[in-house]
Amino acid sequence: MLRRVALHSGLLLACAVILLPLLWVVRVSLLPEPLSYSTDLMPGATLDNYVALFTTTRYGQSYLNSLIVAVGSVIVALPFAAMTGYAFARFKTSGRFGRFAVLATQMLPPVAIVLPVFTLFRIAGLTNSLTGLVIVYAALNLPFLIWILMGFFEGIPVDLEWAAQTDGATAWGAFWRIVLPVSLPGIAAAGVLGFILTWNEFLFALVLSGPQTATVPVALASLQTSNGVQIAKVSAGVVLAVLPLVIASRFIQRFIVQGLTFGSVK
Amino acid sequence: MSSIELDHVSKLYASGAYGVRDVDLTIGDGEFVIFLGPSGCGKSTTLRMIAGLESITSGDLRIGGRSVTHVPPRERNIAVVFQSYALYPHMSVRENMGFGLKMRGTPRAVIEEKIRDAAQLLGLAPYLDRKPAALSGGQRQRVALGRAIVRDPVAFLLDEPLSNLDAQLRAEMRLELVKLHRRLGRTIVHVTHDQVEAMTMGDRICIMRDGRMIQVGKPLEVYADPVDTFVARFLATPPMNLIPARLEGEGDGLVVKADGIAVPVPEMHRAAYAPAAGREVILGLRPEDLHETAEPGFARIEVTVVAMEALGVENILVGQIGWDKPVEIAARLSRHYTAPIGARVPLYVDARPMHLFDPETTRALPRPRLAPGGGGVILPASPAAPAASLPRAASTLPGASALARS
Repeated sequence: MLRRVALHSGLLLACAVILLPLLWVVRVSLLPEPLSYSTDLMPGATLDNYVALFTTTRYGQSYLNSLIVAVGSVIVALPFAAMTGYAFARFKTSGRFGRFAVLATQMLPPVAIVLPVFTLFRIAGLTNSLTGLVIVYAALNLPFLIWILMGFFEGIPVDLEWAAQTDGATAWGAFWRIVLPVSLPGIAAAGVLGFILTWNEFLFALVLSGPQTATVPVALASLQTSNGVQIAKVSAGVVLAVLPLVIASRFIQRFIVQGLTFGSVK
Repeated sequence: MSSIELDHVSKLYASGAYGVRDVDLTIGDGEFVIFLGPSGCGKSTTLRMIAGLESITSGDLRIGGRSVTHVPPRERNIAVVFQSYALYPHMSVRENMGFGLKMRGTPRAVIEEKIRDAAQLLGLAPYLDRKPAALSGGQRQRVALGRAIVRDPVAFLLDEPLSNLDAQLRAEMRLELVKLHRRLGRTIVHVTHDQVEAMTMGDRICIMRDGRMIQVGKPLEVYADPVDTFVARFLATPPMNLIPARLEGEGDGLVVKADGIAVPVPEMHRAAYAPAAGREVILGLRPEDLHETAEPGFARIEVTVVAMEALGVENILVGQIGWDKPVEIAARLSRHYTAPIGARVPLYVDARPMHLFDPETTRALPRPRLAPGGGGVILPASPAAPAASLPRAASTLPGASALARS
């Protein structure tokens, strides 16, 4: 009994450590700006910050931009990632070197490539455009998605493809009709993780976007004005920014867990 | 016409290692052939080469007389049942069974009819709308078989399909497969490492080791006349007792002498074994040829009891012979036989089915073949006759000449 009490106390403490900052942000987002630093538990309640966010700033536009860029980059990157991951998992495509080379691109600090990318995109006329952001995020996410899906494909027994081939399917047909449907949980997991990465990315969005194409992290940063940080408005923005991630994680939680463990458990 | 001919087929990997080496075998139309061997011996690789799932490095493969060495799997009209069953997890039983026909553009009505027939044959009718995850191991196994049957292929390739089943279900499915073969009359190649499956199911056994097919023949023939010590030990549990010994002449006769035992060579084998007199040999005795009671012609030996395994239907005595270099041997005795551990007990050897092996090459020394059942002796025929009756692979094997001569 004592052990259970201790265990649950520990769990409650851990939850509090993780959840309290979030709950604090939710609380502040519902307070009037002048009361945002109040030490009372809930000195007032208003939705003014949310309304102001959409009426006095471009947050709504940025929100839409983020959605377009995150979904678009995942849609562009996933097919390439699926095919490359499959090739790495099933064949000796470019061997260990190829796999490492793909991973190596993730080892460069983003700040090292952001300026070259900016220069290239300016020449190509892709700065300050959502298309440019979709391309750059698709490219940035590709290695990560390839590795996730490679692990997933490695966990799918090759017997399934052999059975399909002896049943009359071509190699492509076996991939399309058998491997892809079977790996949908993994692809969904990879897609959600790619979405989250893009949604949270700040540096490239800051350098490559303009006022019309700013994404949520850039819009939140812009709420820091010469008069100081508008903390209540920022909190409202943060709550809205976290919302799609919470919803996506809730619905695809089991896919994420399955996707991350499928390759390792055989 | 669904014969399968492997014409000196090999599989050489990029590392330089052979997966399969120079396999030369003709499987007749409608024949049930077993590929038997330990893990990694190349039996599954050979099966996959027949299916077209592994490339053939050298040699030629013909199915129904047509060379298919470079033909993709989908054009060979071969059905494979995998050890894992490889059922498509996102499809229902009905969709799994109909997938192959759908791939071939078969009309929907025909697909439905064939699925219904196969489901009835295999007792799967109540489960057609279930997903594989909702089936038991035995049901999944039958779905895998059904998926193969509906396609009406020229041959079935079974890659250890029973190994994931429990002992009772395995025994039932063994029988089902044999019945299915009789009913369909199609060529079946069955890969297994289970000696019971090999002995009970196939028309012929092909024993493989290190990528080579080392003996091909009818199950009882291979059991009675193994070409070497590997086959002798592999084909039964407990395996054949192999006792290092020396063949010596005594008067008109021959005696196999080992540490602690002396077994006279029966008259029927004397002429064949006479050239080996004075040489070191390995004496091979099956556990069922050691008895607890004496009969005329049996040789008496003494063993120290190491263990007694009571199997219900019989007792297995594990005993030790010899003192300087003791050798453990097993004997299948009656279920009523008991002996305390450590006791010195007599056993009686029926030496008629005995084998002698060359200790250097491990190959069997040629001798007359016993008729099935262990009674009489099959006399040597004209040199051409036994060779013709052997499968092509056996006749080209190093040890086959020994069999052929006998």
